[in-house]
Amino acid sequence: MHYAPTLLASLPSLLAYLDPGTGSIIIQVIIAVLLGGGILLRTFWKKIFRKKSKPEDTTTESPSEDSSKSDQA
Amino acid sequence: MSGQILGASFRDPSGFLFTRAGKLYRQVNQAYRLDYDLLLSSGLYKRLVSEGLLISHAVATVEPADPGPVYKIIAPEVLAFISYPYEWSFSQYKDAALVTLKIQKIALEYGMSLKDASAYNIQFHRGRPILIDTLSFEIYKEGKPWVAYRQFCQHFMAPLALMAYRDVRLNQLLRIYIDGIPLDLASCLLPRRALLNFGLLTHIFLHAKVQQKYADKAVEKSKSNVGMSKQAMLGLVESLESTVHRLKWKPAGTEWGNYYEITNYTDAAFVHKKQLVSEWMERIKPKTAWDLGANTGIFSRLASQAGGYTIAFDVDPAAVEQNYRQVKAERKPNMLPLVLDLTNPSPALGWHNRERRSLGERGPVDVVLALALIHHMAISNNVPFSQLAEFFYDMCHWLVIEFVPKSDSQVQKLLKSREDIFTQYAQGDFEEIFQERFDIREAVKLLESERYLYLMERRKDFQK
Repeated sequence: MHYAPTLLASLPSLLAYLDPGTGSIIIQVIIAVLLGGGILLRTFWKKIFRKKSKPEDTTTESPSEDSSKSDQA
Repeated sequence: MSGQILGASFRDPSGFLFTRAGKLYRQVNQAYRLDYDLLLSSGLYKRLVSEGLLISHAVATVEPADPGPVYKIIAPEVLAFISYPYEWSFSQYKDAALVTLKIQKIALEYGMSLKDASAYNIQFHRGRPILIDTLSFEIYKEGKPWVAYRQFCQHFMAPLALMAYRDVRLNQLLRIYIDGIPLDLASCLLPRRALLNFGLLTHIFLHAKVQQKYADKAVEKSKSNVGMSKQAMLGLVESLESTVHRLKWKPAGTEWGNYYEITNYTDAAFVHKKQLVSEWMERIKPKTAWDLGANTGIFSRLASQAGGYTIAFDVDPAAVEQNYRQVKAERKPNMLPLVLDLTNPSPALGWHNRERRSLGERGPVDVVLALALIHHMAISNNVPFSQLAEFFYDMCHWLVIEFVPKSDSQVQKLLKSREDIFTQYAQGDFEEIFQERFDIREAVKLLESERYLYLMERRKDFQK
């Protein structure tokens, strides 16, 4: 995590009534950037997949799987 | 200031809870005006309330408790009972965590974000977890990381991981750590195999390490705005969600289906006991009931069927877990299973011992059921009858209590490995001592059993 100090300096001001914790901010930005990238990739992939599959076969198109997990509550 | 400000309501300058003339209100301060207005005008409030995720409220026209910073006074819908995370079973805890994340995802759609993620802000209302703090939302600014991330990990992720990977009783650590389990402690206590779980590796182990490294460094004000995009924030929330989803727990070596099927009664005694409890509940029509030592809640259901909001307490997390699963499947709105060790009930905790209330402070109730319980208290825990009577006197108006004589196989089991010092443990003594504080309305010998079931009513003329 060599880039963490740079990240620290470039974070927006976090005025919160709870202390968000410096370490907690850094780790979440790193995780989130990686995972958010994953989501972008997934959305992009789905778009490409749909574009390609639609003209070929419209009758057997399976319902797209909902990526969000259903809540148990 | 007029009105009694609640002991737990002091951290957030957005507002606070207070009571006046027995009614609960929440003061919203000017500092929270823009956020409150957006919560309402964006449609987020309406959506969350309609989905049963946020407590509803009405604007109240009463004097503020603190006129200086006031913007509005609202009257939230009142809850039947306040429970705490150290009283929840595994699935209750997991559902509370998932609801918090679901709310955060919906809030982001409406341009808002949760500014706290405290487990104490989630309560069970009509059988489902719900957010009770209307002031938990703030206007979302793109680029800003999730300020409640640390709190979510300490309040939800760490306890759930410890319960799933180490021991289900470890949510008791929340009794010690009021702001959730410190992540360095969770890292020490979790087994090595938890490192293989990518979610736990990042949200707990690495999180703890980075926290440690930057413990004395502050986040400086920005020069640029290279923060977290909304997409990245969603990625984080989804990662937390899937990690929580995958955490599972079941008692070792058992299957849910047959857990607690074995009882110590003949069919006739069991049916007789159910019939008596049911009749008495119909007769006294309790509004509130506590079943102490409820097991999987067979008798608690009789109290809730008579209309009373019933808490089914048991010391065994597996019994409470099974009861909760059943309550959830039945969509039972007026019953709440909770974990409680009656020999050491939940104390008053937090700042000034006023943030979290003790069990006693959350009572008294109309009726207490103490079925197959007294021998555990009097013999296993050496509590004299006089102290038991005093405890029940403080907790309830009506008492349904089962007397289990020494000759009973269950009592014999408890006495097997110890000296019988309980010379006063006899039915005559029991009745005599309890009659100081209670009038015995019914005393019935259970069929094919030596046990007696009593219906007692608190005496008005008892002088302490």
